[in-house]
Amino acid sequence: MGEQLDLLQGTLDLLILKTLALEPMHGWGIGQRIQQISKEVLQVGQGSLYPALHRLESRGWIASEWSTSDNNRRAKFYSLTAAGRKQLTKELGEWEKLSSAIALVLQHE
Amino acid sequence: MRSPKNWLAILLKPFRKHRAEQELDEELRFHLEKQVELNIAAGMSPDAARRQALVEFGGVQQTKERVREISWGYPLEALLQDVRYGLRMLRKNPVFTAIAVLTLGLGIGMNTSIFSLIDSILFRSLPASRPEDLVLLRWHAHHQPKLHGHSSYGDCPNNRSANNPNPNGCSFSLPFFTIARSQTNLFSGITAFAHAPQLDLSGNGAATIVNNAQFVSGEFFSTLGIKAALGRMLEPADDTPASASAVVLSYGYWQSAFGGSRTAVGRTIRLNGLPFTIVGVAQQGFSGLSPGSQFDLWVPLATRPHLTPRWMPKDDGGGSWWLILVARTKPGVSVQQAQTAVSLLYRNETLHEEKPLYAEADAPGVDVVPAQQGLEGFRRTALPPLYILMLAVALVLLIACANIAGLLLARAVGRSKEIAVRLMLGARRSRLVAQLLVESLLLSFAGGALGLLLARWGTYGLMVIATRFNSGPPPFNPQLDGRVLAFTAGTAILTGLFFGLIPALRSLRLDLTPALKTGSGASTAGISGSKWYSLGNALVVAQVSLAIVALITAGLLVRTLRNLEKVNLGFDAHNVLVFGLNPTLAGYKGTQLDPLYRDLQEKFAAVPSVTSVSYSWMALLTGGEWDTDIHIPGTPESERVDSDFMPVGPRFFETLRIPLLAGRDFSGADFSAASLRSARPPDSPPDPAAAPIPVIINETFARRFFPNINPLGRHVDEAMTEDKTRPRGPGWDVVGVVGNTKYEGLRREISPTMYVASGGNGWFTIRTAGDPMQIVPAIRDIINRRDNNLAMFRVATESQQIDKLVFFDRLLARFSTAFGLLAVALACIGLYGLLSYEVTRRTREIGIRVAIGAQRSNVIRMVVVPGLLLATTGAAVGTGASLGVSRLLSSTLYEVNPGDPVTLVGSAIVLIVVALAACYFPARRATRVDPLVALRYE
Repeated sequence: MGEQLDLLQGTLDLLILKTLALEPMHGWGIGQRIQQISKEVLQVGQGSLYPALHRLESRGWIASEWSTSDNNRRAKFYSLTAAGRKQLTKELGEWEKLSSAIALVLQHE
Repeated sequence: MRSPKNWLAILLKPFRKHRAEQELDEELRFHLEKQVELNIAAGMSPDAARRQALVEFGGVQQTKERVREISWGYPLEALLQDVRYGLRMLRKNPVFTAIAVLTLGLGIGMNTSIFSLIDSILFRSLPASRPEDLVLLRWHAHHQPKLHGHSSYGDCPNNRSANNPNPNGCSFSLPFFTIARSQTNLFSGITAFAHAPQLDLSGNGAATIVNNAQFVSGEFFSTLGIKAALGRMLEPADDTPASASAVVLSYGYWQSAFGGSRTAVGRTIRLNGLPFTIVGVAQQGFSGLSPGSQFDLWVPLATRPHLTPRWMPKDDGGGSWWLILVARTKPGVSVQQAQTAVSLLYRNETLHEEKPLYAEADAPGVDVVPAQQGLEGFRRTALPPLYILMLAVALVLLIACANIAGLLLARAVGRSKEIAVRLMLGARRSRLVAQLLVESLLLSFAGGALGLLLARWGTYGLMVIATRFNSGPPPFNPQLDGRVLAFTAGTAILTGLFFGLIPALRSLRLDLTPALKTGSGASTAGISGSKWYSLGNALVVAQVSLAIVALITAGLLVRTLRNLEKVNLGFDAHNVLVFGLNPTLAGYKGTQLDPLYRDLQEKFAAVPSVTSVSYSWMALLTGGEWDTDIHIPGTPESERVDSDFMPVGPRFFETLRIPLLAGRDFSGADFSAASLRSARPPDSPPDPAAAPIPVIINETFARRFFPNINPLGRHVDEAMTEDKTRPRGPGWDVVGVVGNTKYEGLRREISPTMYVASGGNGWFTIRTAGDPMQIVPAIRDIINRRDNNLAMFRVATESQQIDKLVFFDRLLARFSTAFGLLAVALACIGLYGLLSYEVTRRTREIGIRVAIGAQRSNVIRMVVVPGLLLATTGAAVGTGASLGVSRLLSSTLYEVNPGDPVTLVGSAIVLIVVALAACYFPARRATRVDPLVALRYE
C-alpha cells in the first residue's frame, strides 16, 4: 500500500458519481472500485462513504434498490439517475477547470 | 430539481424510521462481511480478519448518526442545524435575547389583541343557521321618497341626506312587507324587524326599563333558523292583532332578570302596563341578527300600536318606513330573479298608490344583497376607533423592529470575524443569510409566542373597557381562531424578515482581509464603518421620528382630557343624583303627569340628606339635547336662528346652583299655566291668541341676540314653519337671565338656551348633603309605593355622568401615553445601543486621543454630539410628520390645536432629555477608557 489520501467531501461525491456511471453497485463495491482504480492511493472509509451515498440519494442524483449479490446475499445497490448524470458532467467540467488552473499556477514557477 | 415523489419520501422518512434503521444496519453489516471475506482471502485467520475489519471500519454509531441526519433531507437538515446554531447564539446573549423577545412580545401582543377584536367584528358570520343564504333588501332611487316617517336603527347604512343624488336605505313600510311576504315563490322565508321603543317591564320584582327590545314578524325565528332554549319561539300565529301578547326572552336576559328559572316560561309580565306571556327563551348565543345587537326580548310586530306611545294609524301606512327586511333565498330562484320581482313590487307600491312616493323618473328599485355584508350593525361605529388603535400598535411594532434591527446590526459587526472565517472556508453566502434569518425568525417566533400570551390579557382588558358601561355580555366575542393565529404568525414572520434581512445582507458585504487581520474585529471592522454607521443612523432617526409622532399624539390627547376635566360646567355637579322616569310607558296621560311629579318631588325632598329636588325634560350631561328654531323680532322676517330648549320644573336652578343673573325665577303661576298647556292633546295646533310663555334665557342667548340691551321683557318668536297655513305659536317673553351651563355633554360649545316652565315631565335631579348613591334605595322605595309599574332608569350621579362622558377621552389619553412612552423608550434604547457600540468600536481611537492629551470634555462631546444630532434630526422629522397625523385627530381634540406649540415643544424636550440619558452612559464609559488598556485592547 502506498501513501493514502483522505478525500474532501466534494471530491468523494464526484468519484462516487463517476464510479456509478459504469454500472450499479453496492457501497462496499464502490469503495473497492475507487481504491483499485486509484492504485490504492485513494482510501474511502465507510464513515464518509455511507453518509455521502445517502446525501447523494437525498439530492436525487443516485437511486438505490435492494437486490441479491454474490452468494445470494441481499445488498443495497446504487445507480446513477438522470439528474446524477447531469451533475456528473457539471462536476467533471468544474474539476477539469480547477485542475488545469492549479496546473497553470504550479507550472508558473 | 427533486420530484414530488422524492419530497414525499423525505417527508415520510421520519415516520418510516424503523425500517430505514434496519436497512441501514443491514447495509453496514453487508459491508463489514465483505471486508472480512477480503481479509480472509488475504490469508488472515477468521478471528483476525474480523478484528482487522472492525478496526478499519471505524465508528459505526457515528456513521449511522451522520446518515440519519442526511436522511431527514438536505434542506431540513440545514434548517435544523441553523435552528440549533441560532438557539446557541441567542443563549449566549441572554440580555439581548430577553430585550428583543420582550419588545417583540409586547409589539406583537398588542397587534394580536387589537386584531382579534377587529376579527370578531368584521369576519364573524351572522348568528343564524346557514347565514350565507340570508339576504337583505335595500331600496334605491334618484330622489328621496316623500315619506310621512322614516326610522332606522343602525342595522345598515342609510344614505338619505337631502343632496345625495342616489339615496338608498333599507327601511320599508309595513304594507310593502305584507306584499313581499305574500309572494311565496320568491323566497323560502322573509321576515321584518325593527327596534322597539323603551319599554316599561313590571310584574317581575321592581319595575324596570327595557331599552333593547325588538319588534319581529312572526316568521323571524323560523326564517333565521333560531331554536328555543326553553319553551317555543314566536310563530306567525302570535303576530296577529287579536293574539299579540307573546314575548320571547334572550338567553342573557333570562339569566340576568329571571335567574335562569325554568318557571319563567308561561309567566305573565306587563310591558307598558299590558299583559304579555313569556312563551320561550331563544337559544344561547343569539341576541339579535345584526352585528353587535343585544336584545333582551322580542315581541310580535302586531304589538307595536299598543307598545308605542303616541302611535297613529298612519305609522303603519305605506308612507312610514321603519322595517328591516331579511329573507332566505329559495332553491331554484336566483338572487337576480328575486331582485327583479321585488323591484317590480316596490315600484308598484311606491308609484301607483293614491299618494305616489316617487315620480316615475326616479327609477325606484330594490337590491337584494347578502345579509352578511348588508347588515353592518355596530361594525360601522366600532371599527374606526379600532383601526386607529391598530395603526398605533402597528407603529409601536415598527419602532420595535427598527430597534432590534439596529441591535442586530451592531451585533453583526461584532460577528464580522466569524462570518469572514466562514466565508473563507467556503460557506455559501445564501446559506449564511439563511442562517442569520433563521436567528431573527427564532427571535420573532419567540416574541410571537409571548405575544399570543399577552394578547389574551390585552383582549380581556379591552373587553372589560369596552363593556364598562354596558350591562350584560359584550356584543362581540374575540377568540383565538385560525385567522388570529395566522395573523400572529404572519406578523411574526414579517417582523422577523423585516428586522433580520437588512442586518443579514449588510453583514455579508465583507471585505475579508481586514476583518481577519484585526484581532477582535473591533477597531476597524471589515464592514466599512461609515456605511454601517449611516444605516444605523437612519434606523435611529426613523425610530426617534416615529416616537415623537406617538408622543405628540399622546400630548394632544392628554391636553384634551385635561381641558375636558377642567371644563366650566356652569353648575355644581357635586352630590347630585339624576335618573330618568317615563310614566307615559306606565299609562300616564297628560293631566296625570303633573300631580305625579309634584307628589314625587315632595316625597323625595323629605328623604334625609336631600337638600333640593327638581325635574326637567332631560337631566344635564346625559346626552339628550333639544334645539328649536326661533325668530328674533327686529331681524328680517324669514331669518331664523337656533336655540337650545329645556323645559324645567320648580327649583331647577336652585337645585343645580345655576346663578340667576337678572330678572326672576319661574313662579307658581308659570307652572300652573304650563300644566294647563301640557293637558292639551299632543297633536293640537298652537293657539296664536294665547299669551306668550315666560322664558328664562342663558347668558349666551342674551349676549348674542340682545347685545347691549336689557333682555328682560323682550319677546322671542317661533320661527316661521314651512307650512304657511299652520299658525305660529304665541312665542316667549324673557323674564330672567341665568348663567351658562353645559347641556348634553362637555364638548359642545355652550349655545343660546331657553328654559321654560314645565309640567311633570322627564328626569329628576336631586341634590344631597352626602353621597347621592346612598339615597337610591329610599327613592326607589318611594316610586314603587306610589306605582309599582313605574321604573327609574339610568340612575347615576352627575360626577358619574362626567366620568362617562370623558371615559373614552381618558382611555385614549392613557393608551396613547403608554404607546408614546413605550415608543420613546424603544427609540432611546436604539440610540443607546448605537452609541455604546460606537464607543466599543472606537475604544482604541479614544485611547489614542486620551493618550495624546484629549480632555474629558472632548471625549464626552465625541459621543454626545452625534447622539444628540441624531435625536434632534429625528425629532424635527417626526414633528413635521405629526402635523399631518394629528390633523386626523382634530375631531377628537378639545380646545387644542393639532399644532399646539406647548405639546410640540414639550414632546421635543421630553425626547431630548431621554436621549441625553441614552447618550450619557456610553459617554461615561468612553471617558473611563484607559489609554494603556485601550492600546493593548486587541
